[in-house]
Amino acid sequence: MNWISALGPLQWLLLLAVPPAVLSLYFLKLKRRELSVPSTLLWRKTLEDVHVNSIWQRLRKNLLLYLQLFFLALLILACLRPGWSGQGRVGERRIYIVDNSASMQATDVEPNRLEVAKRKIKELLSDTASDDVGMIIAFSDRADVRQGFTTDRSRLMSSVDSIQATSHGTDISEALRAAAGLANPGRSSFDSLNDLMVADAIPATVYILSDGAFPDLGDFDVGKLKIEFIPIGQPKSPNLGIVSFSVQRNEDKAGELEAFARIVNHGQVDADFSASIELDGKLLDASSGSVEAGKETGLIFELKGVDEGVLKLQLESEDPLAVDNTAYAAIRSPKQISVLLVTPGNNALETALKTPRVQQVASVRVESPNFLSEPGYRTSNTDASFDLIIFDQCSPMQMPECHTLFIGSLPPIRPATASDSGTDAKNDENSNKEWVFGTPQGPAVIMDVNRSNSITQYLEMGSVSIVEARTITPPESGEVLMTSDLGPIFAVAPRGAYQDAVLGFSIVQSTGDGVGVNTDWGIKRSFPVFVYSAVEYLGGGITESSAPSVQPGWPIGLLLSNRFKDFQVVGPDDQKTDLTRGDESRYTFTKTDVPGIYRVFAKGVEKPVESFCVNLFSSRESDLAVAESIGMGYEKVAASGSTIAARKETWRWILLIGLGLLVLEWVVFNRRVFI
Amino acid sequence: MAENSTLASPKSTMALLSPETMAKLERMELVSRKIFRGRMKGERRSKRKGQSVEFADFRNYVSGDDLRFIDWNLFARLDRLYLKIFLEEEDLHFYTIIDDSMSMDFGEPSKFLVAKQIAASLAYIGLCRGDRVSVSSFETSATPVVVRGKASAHRLLNHLNAIDCVSTETTMADSIKKFCLKNTGKGIVVVISDLMSKAGYEAALRMLVAREMDIFLIHLLSPEELNPSAQGDLKLVDCEDGDRREVSISAGLLHRYQQTLAAFIEQARSFCNKRSITYVPARSDQAPDVLVNEYLRGKGLVR
Repeated sequence: MNWISALGPLQWLLLLAVPPAVLSLYFLKLKRRELSVPSTLLWRKTLEDVHVNSIWQRLRKNLLLYLQLFFLALLILACLRPGWSGQGRVGERRIYIVDNSASMQATDVEPNRLEVAKRKIKELLSDTASDDVGMIIAFSDRADVRQGFTTDRSRLMSSVDSIQATSHGTDISEALRAAAGLANPGRSSFDSLNDLMVADAIPATVYILSDGAFPDLGDFDVGKLKIEFIPIGQPKSPNLGIVSFSVQRNEDKAGELEAFARIVNHGQVDADFSASIELDGKLLDASSGSVEAGKETGLIFELKGVDEGVLKLQLESEDPLAVDNTAYAAIRSPKQISVLLVTPGNNALETALKTPRVQQVASVRVESPNFLSEPGYRTSNTDASFDLIIFDQCSPMQMPECHTLFIGSLPPIRPATASDSGTDAKNDENSNKEWVFGTPQGPAVIMDVNRSNSITQYLEMGSVSIVEARTITPPESGEVLMTSDLGPIFAVAPRGAYQDAVLGFSIVQSTGDGVGVNTDWGIKRSFPVFVYSAVEYLGGGITESSAPSVQPGWPIGLLLSNRFKDFQVVGPDDQKTDLTRGDESRYTFTKTDVPGIYRVFAKGVEKPVESFCVNLFSSRESDLAVAESIGMGYEKVAASGSTIAARKETWRWILLIGLGLLVLEWVVFNRRVFI
Repeated sequence: MAENSTLASPKSTMALLSPETMAKLERMELVSRKIFRGRMKGERRSKRKGQSVEFADFRNYVSGDDLRFIDWNLFARLDRLYLKIFLEEEDLHFYTIIDDSMSMDFGEPSKFLVAKQIAASLAYIGLCRGDRVSVSSFETSATPVVVRGKASAHRLLNHLNAIDCVSTETTMADSIKKFCLKNTGKGIVVVISDLMSKAGYEAALRMLVAREMDIFLIHLLSPEELNPSAQGDLKLVDCEDGDRREVSISAGLLHRYQQTLAAFIEQARSFCNKRSITYVPARSDQAPDVLVNEYLRGKGLVR
């Protein structure tokens, strides 16, 4: 039992002055009913000996006075806030952090871990005092403040109810930062040690209700936070999970696909499993195997005659977590990219575009520069039906509405009125603020290649000699891809939704006499790699046979064909999301909460132009082992069990009893009960 | 009938005597433990020797005695003159004094009404037996109504009806003193009172004792006095002198009250017993005819 004074000294003085006041009131004014009696003779005699100790006689057996004094005593006791250390009670400022990541869907506890966590929070909430403030944060791989600090318990409860399970991964650091931001006042800078905190830190207790499937937090500074970790779930839960599933074209056998999956056993015992693979809902193949405890195994399915479709791998295993027993992969149809090559004749380039690798992903049409001046090209917006137009030794009258690659030529001067912000490509002689082109000089040796860009990522240009080249300086938003001793000679820059790449030297130079070779790059091994990379990157990047996969909740960048303006993404739950083209050609799609296949439809096209998968693929989430402690800053926070040692408040109960006494006193006064 | 007129009296809130009661009372008579001298010829044996038919004694003849009472048969045998003495029969003086202090006007029915009923009953018995009946209250003790004969019953009852409780300064002792001065005769005196006099009742009773009368004290108490039902913090107001007593009535206090009451009754009884006063406790919720028929008969006042 311990005590906390709820009042200041002056208030105590006032309160303690009340009992004597009540007593004196009883002496001074005891309201008496007048009653006429035949004679007070007998009463006088009766009272004679009573008068000897009359003061105490008056007070003796006066139930009402006793009740009042008892009430006051309880009031004073209540203000001392007596309490004791008990279980299930909590402090004053509390932050409840609930894990709603994928692993919390595990049903190793009834009904599942998340519901158990929510129930525990509610139990904690129901034990809190009414003036305590609480805050609810749900976290998976991101934090979601469900309810800011409030004393309203019903709001806290309803916000707990609103927490839904997700298939996301787990990252508690954001949630803890949110909690810490409220408990520890921010500094304007974390770099300067001289920067003092501007406000007092408010201590708070953080209850983390999680299975602990998240990495240690490294140097996270808990500051004034008191961390309580309440593990949820059975410590040793068996679980088989698919941690990867991908589809690749068999390089050796054309037209065959290989599906590869990794299956991890997180249980304590060896486990047998059977797996089935379905294509668009039809069973293709099945396999079975076993995994040793704590180990993983691979599964390979060879798929013949599969051109495109959605693959679903289903693991037949009875384990608590269902979300990791299913994996999806989508096979794309080949030849997605439409490329137009406009050239007066370039064997090296044409050959490079005919490699099987390029043919697999792109369909190439070759035209002569005359094609550009044909009226049909100008009027029918032919360029809009291509993803990429390669201008070799020629340039159009105006920039086409697609990605472009200029080889040995320059983008046309565009009318000033048509200028989109910062995307104009103009000739070097003019006051071009954006693209700056130098005059042809030679010879040139390539000094540096930008390895961070996917076009030039794999290029080895050291042995390439160039007869004549001009410097290419891209606008600010652009990127220099190759630098020669003369200066930058290859650059790429965005133009609205499109990318323009300009190579400052031609491969061959067609003249009236024939074809002159400007560089030996065309016969180098790096040239087809360059062409393929350029087609892949500028053509929209849809070159892989299998669709990209992200973890639930993570954004996916979509490089979509510029032939269409509006797209619609249909998720596995048939939820439709419209995508509209922004300034960037890259679309970012964020509503990837549900695992499964997402299809991207272009307006007016029946078949999906792109698809991607959302798979859990997280060994950490599949591992249902419950952490016994979590690394928090420089300390370890051990699991505190399902109960929390905290102060139990009783003064409200005493006040309630006091009120009951007041009622009893009222009854006694009215009924005139006497002892 | 006189009885009927009494009942029809406008002042009577309740008939002092019902016809049935009267019929019962007519068969009774008042009994005195002492033999008094009456004033007139009556039905009571007197101390005086007289001319009744009942032989009392012989005594020696002395000169001057009435020769008619000489027992001549005895003279013939003994040759000595003896006088034959007969018992004299005289009337009985019966006095009733009712306490008319305000304290008597309590209870339901009020003590005063019950007192008047008792007084009326006893007086009627006396009237039926030809006794000299005198009824008075403390206030009118100096001027009592004195009646004789059954025919005067209605006058007596009217008088009884007429008297009322008065808030007077006259104490019991003063009233009895006046009574004693006025009524020199001897006889039975019945005092009906609750004895709730702060000045005390002892002096008054002593005066009566000094008159050598046959004294009956009917101590009439109401149920409210015997078992108070009041509760709580009260301010008790004495209806006679306005005396106020603040009490917080509790079970303990009520117990103490009962002790005090018992002591008070016992003190009165003891005082009376020592002085040959017949103490008759009575409750105002008891029917008066029951009191008269059974209780007073047991005490020897009526027969």
